[in-house]
Amino acid sequence: MTPTHFAFSSAFMLGLAGLAFHRTHFLSALLCLEGLMLSLFIALSLWTLQFNTMNSASLPMILLAFSACEAGAGLALLVATTRTHSNSRLQSLNLLQC
Amino acid sequence: MSYLMCVLLLGLVLGLVAVASNPSPYFAAMGLVVVAGVGCGVLVGTGGCFLSLVLFLIYLGGMLVVFAYSAAMAAEPFPEGWGSWPTLRLVGGYLVGVAVARGLLGKNWYEEDWSGFDSILGLTVLRGDVGGVSLMYSSGGWLLMGGGWVLLLTLFVVLELTRGLGRGALRAV
Repeated sequence: MTPTHFAFSSAFMLGLAGLAFHRTHFLSALLCLEGLMLSLFIALSLWTLQFNTMNSASLPMILLAFSACEAGAGLALLVATTRTHSNSRLQSLNLLQC
Repeated sequence: MSYLMCVLLLGLVLGLVAVASNPSPYFAAMGLVVVAGVGCGVLVGTGGCFLSLVLFLIYLGGMLVVFAYSAAMAAEPFPEGWGSWPTLRLVGGYLVGVAVARGLLGKNWYEEDWSGFDSILGLTVLRGDVGGVSLMYSSGGWLLMGGGWVLLLTLFVVLELTRGLGRGALRAV
């Protein structure tokens, strides 16, 4: 595996691990999700640049637009959680506990 | 130049280790700023100047500023720092994981090339990635309009989520 490929692949896996093992704050999980999107942007851009296929250079731009949509929706959920539960800690989201 | 690319790629991985093992959202946002800056350096090193500029402007200057404001709202006033024992254990665990994966998947240092390759030698007006992104306006016009429609719908989604279902108008949190 080339070093560049390994770098953004491990960056993606680290962001995924940070999202899966989120501990206290909802916002930490959202920021790990943003890290995932960032690693995907770098991966798609490096794909077009290193393989010289400039036709797919619009792909990271579209990814960035949709990632902005997702970040906005995630932050709106954070605000809604803070309103109903008075904090955004993940321990307070316990309506479905057994 | 290859040493610079090596340092930048290392910074990418270490920055995301910091984001994934953050003790508080402030540090995760700072780690994302570092990762975005280093990622811009990686893209410039392989010849994508326009994509790097877009990353800086839109991602760092647009989205991460919003996340910084949200961190000011949502995180606690006295956050725990990097020196706490669970955080250090997580950092160590992620670093060991990356090192093990590199040992399993990578080859020796002399068998691989770390430097980026800029295929357009010299200064031109129309570089490769600028020409590629311009396809978004010509052949990908329908995708551009679809993306604009999706952004408008996201605005309505956000307003609906923060409305509070009839329990009040838009108010301070």
